[in-house]
Amino acid sequence: MPSTMVQSLSRATTATFEELALLFPEHQLTDEQTAAPLGLAVSVDFRGPFNGRLVLEVSTSILPLAASNMLGEHEGKQPQLQRDALGELANVICGNVLPAIAGQEAVFHLSAPKVHEDATAVSREHDAAQARTEFGVEDGRARVALYVFGDAEAMLAVTGA
Amino acid sequence: MAFNVLVVDDSAVMRQMVVRTLKMSGLPLGTVLEAANGEEGLFTLQEHWVDLLLLDINMPVMNGEEMLRRLRAAPETENLPVIVVSTEGSETRLAALHELGAAIVRKPFAPETLRDTILRITGVNDAEYYGAVPVASDDGDF
Repeated sequence: MPSTMVQSLSRATTATFEELALLFPEHQLTDEQTAAPLGLAVSVDFRGPFNGRLVLEVSTSILPLAASNMLGEHEGKQPQLQRDALGELANVICGNVLPAIAGQEAVFHLSAPKVHEDATAVSREHDAAQARTEFGVEDGRARVALYVFGDAEAMLAVTGA
Repeated sequence: MAFNVLVVDDSAVMRQMVVRTLKMSGLPLGTVLEAANGEEGLFTLQEHWVDLLLLDINMPVMNGEEMLRRLRAAPETENLPVIVVSTEGSETRLAALHELGAAIVRKPFAPETLRDTILRITGVNDAEYYGAVPVASDDGDF
C-alpha cells in the first residue's frame, strides 16, 4: 500500500470531515471508538485514467451530528438525509483524493454515491485496497478505502507509485 | 443590496448545504432558487433574474460547463457572475471554466471562502457589505 496514497487519502478525508461536517478526526482511536461497529457504508465509483471505488464506512452513532452540522439541526434527525449527507462526504473525499493521486491534469467521472447497510457488500475484500485509513470521530469511527479495479498497472502508470 | 441566487447541483444535499452556507455567511439574500442540472438551470433563468449563479460541474442531463457556455453565448447572461462549486480537480477543466469567467470554489469549502468569493466577483465591497466603518478620532485623551 503506497504511503503517499494513504497520506493523500487521509488528508482528503480529514479536510472533508473538518470543513463539511465540522467533525475533527482523531487518528489515535480510544477503546470506545475502536469498539464502535461500522454500521453503514457508502460507495462512489469512478472512471478515468484508472477505474475504481471509494468506500466510506462509519459508525451510525456519528450520523446525526454529521448531518446536523452539514444540513441543520432539524434535518440531521431524518435518517434519509443522514444517509444523503454521508454520500456527499464520500463524494467530496473521492473528488479530492483522485487528483492528489493522479495529478491535476487527470479527469475523472464520479458516479452518484450509493448507500449500503452491509459494508461487506461493497468493500471488495477480494481486491486489496490501494489505500485505507481509519480514525475516530466523536464516540465512533470511520474507515475509508480506495480500490482500483482490474489491473493496477494503469494506476501505477499515472501515479508513478 | 440583496442577492438573488440560483444554485445548480444534482445533489439535493449539496444544494441545501450551499444555501445554508450562504445564510451562515451573513450575506443579504433575496430569492434563492434551485435546479438539479444545467438544463433545469437554463429554464429557471428564462423565468427569473438572478444576481449570482452557483454551479456544480458534474451533473446528468446537462453539465455545468455546457450550461456556462450557453449562458456566455446569450447577451442577457453573458456577464452574470458565476461561481463553480465543485470537487473537480482537473486543472485543464478548471482553466476552461475560468476562461468563461467563472470563479472556482473547491469542495470542501469554508463559509467565509464562499462569502469572500461572492463579494469579489459581484464587486460588492466591504463598505457596502458591512456598512460604513467609523474612523477613530486622533484627538482622544491619552
